[in-house]
Amino acid sequence: MQIQLKLYGSSKMLSDKEILNIELPNNSNIETLRSTLNKIISEKCLKNNLENLSKTAAFFSATDEVVNDNYKLKNKELISIIPPIGGG
Amino acid sequence: MTLHTAIVKTEENKISSEEAKKFILSEQNGAESIFVGRVRNENSGKEVTAVTYDVHDQAVIKSFQSICSDAKSKFDKNASIFLEHAKGYVSVGEISILIAVSSAHRDEAFKICRYILEEIKHKSPIWKKEHYIEGNEQWLPGHSLRPKEEIK
Repeated sequence: MQIQLKLYGSSKMLSDKEILNIELPNNSNIETLRSTLNKIISEKCLKNNLENLSKTAAFFSATDEVVNDNYKLKNKELISIIPPIGGG
Repeated sequence: MTLHTAIVKTEENKISSEEAKKFILSEQNGAESIFVGRVRNENSGKEVTAVTYDVHDQAVIKSFQSICSDAKSKFDKNASIFLEHAKGYVSVGEISILIAVSSAHRDEAFKICRYILEEIKHKSPIWKKEHYIEGNEQWLPGHSLRPKEEIK
């Protein structure tokens, strides 16, 4: 299955595009997405900049609600990654 | 109307304190408190030239409305509130956030202004990337929205 990850904040270092398509095993949940994200960060040699991202990020569903680690992802689903925030 | 919240795209517009003052003006409110946040030229010993603000538009507007509504319920239901935050590239000295409040009395006006600012920092999905004089840039660390019990 594949999901579309909409990038915000520091996660934009992962791609020049706003949305990153990520391949995941069927029936994946947010926890699987975190592990896959960790691998992508390593592959792109971004450990120095994004070391804790997979652990500290929250994820929003398409309805902009935080989803927990057990949330089952659907094929082609749009998920937003929400790195730690700091506006104002 | 007593509440205005917006995200201002910096390539199209600027945040205006004059608009804010006009919006909150009310004969029933005798106190006004205005907080203006601007980009500073220094952070942690580094010379800053600008900050790029990234914003999750829908979630931020939802959080702004909820925060302002809570503030009114807590302190003064008749308060008028104007809240705008920048999105995009903001140079040193330019406004990144403006909170203007009018209320019946000064104590509530101050409290509402402070409450909104602190809540935004902990609830609204906004991110800052600082640009430095050397030409490099860095996303700043922040507050995680992941439920605490899940972070091991």
